Amino acid sequence: MKKIEIEFTINGKKRRLSVKPNDLLINIIRNDLFLTGSKYGCGIGECGACTVLLNGEPVLSCLTLAATVDGKEITTIEGLAIGDELHPMQKAFLKNGAVQCGFCTPGMILTATALLKENPNSTEDEIRDYMRGNLCRCTGYIQIVKAIKSCENNLETS
Amino acid sequence: MVPFKYISPKTKNEVLEILKEEKVKACIVAGCTNVLPNIRDKKIVSKVLVDISDIEELRGISKEKDKVCIGPLTTIAELTNSEAISKEGEVLYQAAEQFADPIVRNNATVGGNLVTASPAADMAVPLLTLDAILKIESIERKRGVRLKDFFIGPEKTILREDEMITGIEFESSNINKNGCFIKLGLRKAMAIAVASIAVNLEVRENKIAQVRIAMGSVAPTPIRLTVVEGFLKNKEVNSNGLIEEAINKVREEVDPISDIRASAEYRRYVSGILFKRAFNKLT
Repeated sequence: MKKIEIEFTINGKKRRLSVKPNDLLINIIRNDLFLTGSKYGCGIGECGACTVLLNGEPVLSCLTLAATVDGKEITTIEGLAIGDELHPMQKAFLKNGAVQCGFCTPGMILTATALLKENPNSTEDEIRDYMRGNLCRCTGYIQIVKAIKSCENNLETS
Repeated sequence: MVPFKYISPKTKNEVLEILKEEKVKACIVAGCTNVLPNIRDKKIVSKVLVDISDIEELRGISKEKDKVCIGPLTTIAELTNSEAISKEGEVLYQAAEQFADPIVRNNATVGGNLVTASPAADMAVPLLTLDAILKIESIERKRGVRLKDFFIGPEKTILREDEMITGIEFESSNINKNGCFIKLGLRKAMAIAVASIAVNLEVRENKIAQVRIAMGSVAPTPIRLTVVEGFLKNKEVNSNGLIEEAINKVREEVDPISDIRASAEYRRYVSGILFKRAFNKLT
């Protein structure tokens, strides 16, 4: 298969790669760039574990062809912290015990940051509605919603 | 995943040239939310993927004097952020807000939802009651097709192999402003409809001046319930027994099957209930 040259920014760094037409973004991120925070879950867009931010919006990297991210900007869970300083959402997840097995956590946190950007004062119902595509098999939803809510409150006062 | 060829043309005309050249081998993709799972399931094999996601002329929502135009590349998320859609075609806005989940809405497109032609298509049902017209183009010619004439079977449409949808339009009118969409799924997130309904209604002097009803997942394609529409037209909105009689007619007009989500019997029954809920909301 003929390879395609792509150039994109991931977590603030410019990267150039040769990809096959059928390479999925999730596989490039994990296997070529060794950013294994993004998880490969269902592979068919049902679980949200592979969520990354593409130009600031959450998308499913298992349903995104690597060839289509040419010229775009990607943020994975590895790109949220600044040095050793965790992102407020990461802190909120830790503080509220919103991480159990951890498999859904990177996707959950990235989707939650997008929610906060869109609607910094969301109600519990709005949080649950926005997060509805990110599944947690440990069913830690109560803590996850609590974490997001607490992060909102912190952002408001900071 | 099985190999495929990939091209990303930059203009509409380039796409049309490619469609003419590759014919049935070409598979247009944009959001990829349906196509990639289908490639994985080997339902789509040995195709040339024609990625149109960079073609800006096919994207966006514009309000003209008497109509609203939606580019086929417009994402479902863009519909939920559009004032023109919430004002002129609220039924479509409601459906967009219930579509899959917010992440999928960032990729999935209106045109993609229509050409996939699922009997459950969440965009097709409200666009049917808005009486949308599709602009369809090939390199040789352009034509306009009413959405109600577009679907011919499960995953089958009247689109020829060299054609693509280049626009979706609906009128700015009283009836289109007053609509209701209800989707019944097995759960809230990522649900494929067990049954869905859209109703658009215009009442004048207490009479039903115009009504359009469409349903999803209750027939081989998304359908308009024209018999029920004919029955309701010109009737007094609050006349005795009107809804009960209409519910029976809804149950007669749908043609559901049994599948993993629900039995045909249940779908027929619940179609009547969904109609009642939507109709009551609008009156």
